[in-house]
Amino acid sequence: MTRSLLPTATPPQTWAAIRAEFARLPGLSAAAAALLIAASAAGLVAPWVLGRLVDDVIAGTGAGRIAYWAAVIAAAALAGGALTAAATAAAARLGETVLARLRERVLDRALHLPSATLERTGTGDLVSRIGDDATVVASAITASGPLVVSAALSVILTAGGLFALDWRLGLAGLAAAPGYAFALRWYLPRSAPYYVKERVASGERTQALAGALRGAATARAYRIEKTHVAHVAACSATTRDLTLEVFQIYTRLVARINRAELIGLAAVLIAGFLLVREQMATVGAATAAALYFHRLFNPIGMLLLESDTVLQAGASLARLVGVASLPAAPAAAGTDPAVTGGDLEVVVAEHHYDEGPVVLADITLRLAAGSRVALVGASGAGKSTLAALAAGIVAPTHGTVRLGGVPLGELGEVRTRQRIALISQEVHVFAGPLRDDLRLGRPDASDDELLGALELVGATGWLRALPGGLDTHVGEGGHRLTPAQAQQLALARLVLADPEVAVLDEATAEAGSSGARELERAADAATAGRTTLIVAHRLTQAATADRVLVLDRGRIVEEGSPDDLQRAGGRYSELWAAWNG
Amino acid sequence: MLRPALRRQRGRLTAGVAFLCLHQAAEAMVPVTIGVVIDRAVATSDTGALLLSLAALILLFTVLSLAWRFGARFSTAAKEHEAHLARVGIAERALDPRGQRSGLRDGELLSVAASDADRSAAAIRTAGAAAAACTALLVSAAALVMVDPWLGAGVLVGVPLVLMALQRLAPLLTRRSEAQQASLAGTSALAVDLVAGLRVLRGVGAQHHAAGRFAAASHDALADTLRAATTKGLHLGLTSTVNGLLLAAVTGAAGWLALNGQITVGELVAVVGLAQFIAEPVQTLGWCVQSLATARASARRVAKVLHAAPTVRPGTESAPPPACERLVLTDLRYGTLTGLNLRISAGETVGIVAYDPRDAEALLAVLAGTVPREDYQGTVRIDGVPAESLRLAESRQVVLVEPHDVALFEGTLRDNLAAGAAGDDDTLMAAVRVAAAEDVLHNHGLDQVLTERGANLSGGQRQRVALARAVAAAPPVLVLHDPTTAVDAVTEALIAERLTTARREPPQATVVVTGSPALLRATDRVLVLDDGRIRAEGTHDDLVAAEPTYREAVLR
Repeated sequence: MTRSLLPTATPPQTWAAIRAEFARLPGLSAAAAALLIAASAAGLVAPWVLGRLVDDVIAGTGAGRIAYWAAVIAAAALAGGALTAAATAAAARLGETVLARLRERVLDRALHLPSATLERTGTGDLVSRIGDDATVVASAITASGPLVVSAALSVILTAGGLFALDWRLGLAGLAAAPGYAFALRWYLPRSAPYYVKERVASGERTQALAGALRGAATARAYRIEKTHVAHVAACSATTRDLTLEVFQIYTRLVARINRAELIGLAAVLIAGFLLVREQMATVGAATAAALYFHRLFNPIGMLLLESDTVLQAGASLARLVGVASLPAAPAAAGTDPAVTGGDLEVVVAEHHYDEGPVVLADITLRLAAGSRVALVGASGAGKSTLAALAAGIVAPTHGTVRLGGVPLGELGEVRTRQRIALISQEVHVFAGPLRDDLRLGRPDASDDELLGALELVGATGWLRALPGGLDTHVGEGGHRLTPAQAQQLALARLVLADPEVAVLDEATAEAGSSGARELERAADAATAGRTTLIVAHRLTQAATADRVLVLDRGRIVEEGSPDDLQRAGGRYSELWAAWNG
Repeated sequence: MLRPALRRQRGRLTAGVAFLCLHQAAEAMVPVTIGVVIDRAVATSDTGALLLSLAALILLFTVLSLAWRFGARFSTAAKEHEAHLARVGIAERALDPRGQRSGLRDGELLSVAASDADRSAAAIRTAGAAAAACTALLVSAAALVMVDPWLGAGVLVGVPLVLMALQRLAPLLTRRSEAQQASLAGTSALAVDLVAGLRVLRGVGAQHHAAGRFAAASHDALADTLRAATTKGLHLGLTSTVNGLLLAAVTGAAGWLALNGQITVGELVAVVGLAQFIAEPVQTLGWCVQSLATARASARRVAKVLHAAPTVRPGTESAPPPACERLVLTDLRYGTLTGLNLRISAGETVGIVAYDPRDAEALLAVLAGTVPREDYQGTVRIDGVPAESLRLAESRQVVLVEPHDVALFEGTLRDNLAAGAAGDDDTLMAAVRVAAAEDVLHNHGLDQVLTERGANLSGGQRQRVALARAVAAAPPVLVLHDPTTAVDAVTEALIAERLTTARREPPQATVVVTGSPALLRATDRVLVLDDGRIRAEGTHDDLVAAEPTYREAVLR
């Protein structure tokens, strides 16, 4: 499964997107740039002053001169401090605002991904972009960003200072540049694959641990605890060894950086020596140059050591910008096609996924407004596919789905979703307060409306037992709801969203028989008065429907009222007999 | 917790610390050497002195570079090895056959194994860094005092004082940045959660509301981040101002001494360089204190898991020869159970219908051997011997409880099925047939790969694979809990028939706790568990005819 259908931005596109964001904040961008440069420049004063002071000491000037120079350093320190504070704050405001806008846009585009794209890509790639990539970029901007920017500026300005002092000393300092470049070119191609391997290995280690912990009861029952511990130990050892190997490479990068530092420092000292001997520069200038260069050690080292982070952040950024540059969801503007009544009509000559085999053929399904139709059939008969077609999640390969006479293609995705709701087998409880989860169905719902919806689906009992009522934190990391409760929650969301048509393909299976019966009642209550298509996983659901369709290998083989079918002695009555044991 | 770790890594740690100290000493000598070069060579234009001092510089950098390389490698190795040991130890405790009483949930255990193991082991590296920083301070102090005792004393007292004062800001900084990290992590978790539930959102057309909810959370996170950034900016600005002022003072004083001829120009350079340099080790020490505090908290959490007491205290006896009645429960009182009696013989299949699910849970927990003896009353006898006197491996070999909450593992179908049996492929294939799970074989047969938790299978397939696994293990007493809830009616009937046949030859006992009529009809007898004890017994058909409550409970 290597196909990734979500776009990744090219470097020029990424740059353009970032520049456009900066351009939206012109004042802040300019202020941040100016402050950063000024703050770095203030840092150059001290070494320069020191050089002048050395010359004055050698010339034997008065103590007043010394006091003057000390005062200059102090003044530069005060100005530099204020500038640093302001520059850091401004740069953070700029970077963080851009980041926040980017992540909001990425999530907005991700959530509004057209159904067709989503069905093909699945949510895996999206989740990893929204989760991992966004975290990598955020931590690069928040933690490394200010350091890298100020290090880069101070390298540029210090190098400038070195040249301003004496261009020959500046040239000597440049002797270190090939060494640094060589170190980086040596390091990056070696480390990058290791970091990838290390991430994969540590993912596997977490997975091994999580799998073992989750399956602890089973491992005990089958007495295979040792196998799982050994698996965890092996994964952990692999990660440890990779970490140590990549660290070895890192230490060798540091050694190369040290070498470049030595070459640069020696070159500056030798140049200073020669210039002083030929009386082309003062001892003070040579001193200042050496001190300038010594000052470069930390920022250059930092830039090289952060190069991985910067590259990784760049790659993640490209993946985020790729999602952000998807077209925005079309608003439900324009003329609303005249939908008359809540009749749903599904006509499918043939349907298949990609180049796969035909999964549905010769289907004609009409649901009169307010009626209730059940789909019955063995697993793999095409029930869920037909449900997805009827809900307009998937467009039939050959065929049309009409709501109130209007093809769903003309109605558009947004309006379709407002009118037809689908509860699929995928169950998800959104992490956070229960109230927020329910309000996804209707954001402006009052607490009374929320409680009303919960009561309708029979959730009042367990709601009362929740520690904080509607404020209870549910989902990941919170109060764990049982599968049946999660399903009731899904039905409550449906009640709040209040669509004309409801398509239910929910799994009641995990609930056990008594729970399943409660869920059936909840589904009946939630869909009362709506045009309803229900995939009957339990035959009792079919028994209460107005009409039953029996699907077999993608075709309708029986159709009629449940009572007629039961008497008819066909497939449905066979199923019914098996079901009742 | 930390002390044994330090003891275990003694060798690596000693070598690491020695090299790191050497490295810091060499770093301290860099500004001093620059001063010497200026003094002896540049100011005097003495070529011999230049060559000599350059040679010294090369030697210094060689020592510096090699010392760091080996020091860092040794101390990192010590840390990584220790974290690995802690992780394996945690896994061992979490999977202990006897259970463990740490009271932590899976998620918490995972986070202890993932982050706390690392953080507590990081204490080893911190200890090395602290020792090295102390060395750097000592070397700098010696160099400064040799230049001028009073100036040296001033720098040595002044710099740490100033830095300690700055350190007082650290708690505020930490608080702000923790708040920022928490709200960022929260935003990221919210985004991931919303996208993970995207299909559900789309089902009710709620994407737009979800995007709005995220935008609000993102705004809040931005506000927190900006607050933290302002504090950080102030701290940086203050640090740079204070360092600058300190430099001004040192430069003034050293310049005055140089002017009066008390120190040379080179010494002036060295003093100024050292004054800037010692900020580093002092800051490192401050960081070490904080990092040790974090490590201690993490080490406590790791120790809590490693030293957790086992839940049950198993016996030491081996399994007795098979008795006719393989499993006998007498007057069992545990949880909601109020005096349950149960006798299971070899070769029979017994259905249990529990009107209250809590009764079923309690019974299954006792049968699985995960309940401490002192927590339940009555007796559980396996082949006539009290269960608690047997070794766990022996009692679980006789009685296998396959939980309803199916847990499959990453690996091949064969690995999963063979979990409880060293069975050959024929045995496994036969078990697959009993569970009517042939559809899982696809094109790959037993080599079919299951992803984490068997996520690439449907719920029904997972349930049937688990059933096949239990059948393949062929335990003398097999206990199943709602094994076919996700299976369609026709397949369920097929499973009921094949399962009872498979378990009859050789004669093995099977207990099915279920409400499914298809399964119950296939059993030899059905026990009705109500109000904590067995209330009725009979065949499925008799009970359907005689008991209205039973009819209500199992007919759908």
